[in-house]
Amino acid sequence: MNDRIRPVSATVCAVLLAVSAIVMIYMGTYASAYYAPAVCLLWEAVLLWRGAARKLFERVLQLNQLTGIILILTLWLGDTLHLPKLDIAGVMLIGNMASGGPLMAVLAIPLLASFHFSKTLPDWFQPTAHA
Amino acid sequence: MQFKRLIAASALSALFAANAQAVSLTGTITTENGSPVMGAMLTVFNEAGNRKESVYSGADGSYAIHTDFGGKLNVRARLANFEDATTTVQLAADQLSTVNLTLKHFASAQAASDALTASAHTAKLPWASHDQRRPFVSQCNYCHQVGNALTRSARSEDAWTVTLDRMQGYFAMLSKGEAKTFANVLARGFDGKPVQAVQNYGIAPELTHAKVEQWMVGDAMTFIHDTDVGIDDKLYGTDEGHDLVWVLDRQTGKTDSYPEPDINLPAGGLFNGMTLPIGIFTGKHGPHSMAQGKDGRFWITNALSSTLASFDPVTKAFKLYPVPGDALYPHTIRMDQEGILWFTNNVSNQVARFDPKTEKFTIIRLPSNGLFRWITDMLLPTIVHVGNWFPHKNLPLDVSTHRFLGHDVLNSPYGIDVNPKDGSIWYAKLYANKIGHIDPKTLQVTEYDTPLKGPRRPRFDRNGILWIPAFEDSGLMRFDPVTKTFESYKLPVLADGEYEVPYALNVHPITGDIWITANASDRILRFIPSTKRFISYPSPTRVTVLRDLVFTKDGRVCNSNSNLPAYGTEDGLDSFMCFDPDGGDKDKAAILAAKGK
Repeated sequence: MNDRIRPVSATVCAVLLAVSAIVMIYMGTYASAYYAPAVCLLWEAVLLWRGAARKLFERVLQLNQLTGIILILTLWLGDTLHLPKLDIAGVMLIGNMASGGPLMAVLAIPLLASFHFSKTLPDWFQPTAHA
Repeated sequence: MQFKRLIAASALSALFAANAQAVSLTGTITTENGSPVMGAMLTVFNEAGNRKESVYSGADGSYAIHTDFGGKLNVRARLANFEDATTTVQLAADQLSTVNLTLKHFASAQAASDALTASAHTAKLPWASHDQRRPFVSQCNYCHQVGNALTRSARSEDAWTVTLDRMQGYFAMLSKGEAKTFANVLARGFDGKPVQAVQNYGIAPELTHAKVEQWMVGDAMTFIHDTDVGIDDKLYGTDEGHDLVWVLDRQTGKTDSYPEPDINLPAGGLFNGMTLPIGIFTGKHGPHSMAQGKDGRFWITNALSSTLASFDPVTKAFKLYPVPGDALYPHTIRMDQEGILWFTNNVSNQVARFDPKTEKFTIIRLPSNGLFRWITDMLLPTIVHVGNWFPHKNLPLDVSTHRFLGHDVLNSPYGIDVNPKDGSIWYAKLYANKIGHIDPKTLQVTEYDTPLKGPRRPRFDRNGILWIPAFEDSGLMRFDPVTKTFESYKLPVLADGEYEVPYALNVHPITGDIWITANASDRILRFIPSTKRFISYPSPTRVTVLRDLVFTKDGRVCNSNSNLPAYGTEDGLDSFMCFDPDGGDKDKAAILAAKGK
């Protein structure tokens, strides 16, 4: 039995990820592609709740941010830069949806910031240090 | 006027004499009790079944029609609320024959129901409100009629769901909730029981002067979207499904078709991810709208390949110009006084400018009008592009924001025209319910909300007034660009509860009358601005879906009957169709002249 105490921030963020997943599942009932971010959000919520697989958890957040930023920049500046705009944007859109979609993009900002500027969440993902 | 008619009669008399096949029919159309009927359509079909001409009976029930085809002819009299009366006559060249026809009441309620226009059947659909019906009008009536014999068959809600899913693959932009509601309403409304309605065309005296000519084109899968009249007075039509340009010589009745050059795209072009109508959309370009340049070349918007094509009607040569950037679905095209071409990019919320001299495009991104529309504008071309990686899977439907918010989340720049007073460019945004002004020099854009919804294909009159059909609200709008004020008019319908779907209009260059398509009720409407009066011209063909209207040098109002699919029309084929407001009078004059010889 794990007797670690889950920090409030992990609880809150995990709940937010789970709620976002539910929103995406609801959107998926309208347009099925939104089930993909729902699965990812749920997966991330579980990882955060359990404090497991930090690297994977962080990589997904980073992938979501990266694809989102490139997607926006490509749509915004793609014509000007004469890039193969729609190919790049298409790959980024798929990548972004697979890594949690737009709601993850919002949640990823405080999550990644807390990994960088705080010890609470990193410590939560290192159970051996607290055992 | 008398003098003009005399000249017309003389000219037609000469034509009559020159045409070896010309025949004439006169007679009277009455009801069973012997009463003459006004405004009944008398239609003559040629033996091959690829030509038909129609006139309307006068107040005394009389008609006179002169055709340039003889032989074995089928003759039909038709009037709303009566059974068709038909007969066959054999006429030799130059023969004048008398055929009287009697219209009987329908033998059964089902027969009466079957003869009603689609508008009478859709009026029966149990919508909870106008707002609930609006997306149905917008999304289910622009390719074809709903309520005609092909589309009103009784189906279960599940069967309608399957149909609606298929239609969404053809670009019907429905939210999931709308699709569910539509399936329920259609299942309840189209129950197979006969509809009882008395339709009133409001027959005007002008109707009795008119004539309609039709030339059938292609096969049951042909889809002529727009028609234009060339400087050679021939009619040119874009077959959006098969990448063809159809050409009709009205003098000889001969039609030809010319294929666009191949392009390195799959069938369906840039919309290969969608399941386009099987058999109808076999091409890659999707030629949609056209305008003739000063050098005689036609410029054609290729909606599916996002290219602009030029077509030389003399050499029959095409040349393709890819529209740059993420332009999707080049749509309506017009040419300004400087010879510059302007067209809307319907799916990517843009207007494009093309200079044929320099062969350079300028793409103007139009205002997005709100966050959700901005998101849609930004993402939709990408979503459509990703859809092409998974052909015919309708992937865009699984991602697009319209699945949540319906068609209102799109802008949909649609019709476009040039103000003859100052050369400015005006366009209509079909789903955002706006019209917009583009300064042709600075390319600055200004938009205005329209009072009625669904502004589709507007046209200017010679005084610089913009006339706009309101597709979703069954109306006509008048916009004065100087005072920035609108006036709105409700279109006349045939019976209570019906609505009309005005797809396009055009302003007669001489009379200034507004001619409007009325695609729910097989009519064309004529609005006289000075008296604010509508005149209704019933089409001889059940299931008449007209698009761009053009005027020939001799005053005819021409267009293509392009219901999707063509086999859903009464003729089973698309056709070029020309309304001549004075054609009936010309026939009478020609027959009189021939009798006098």
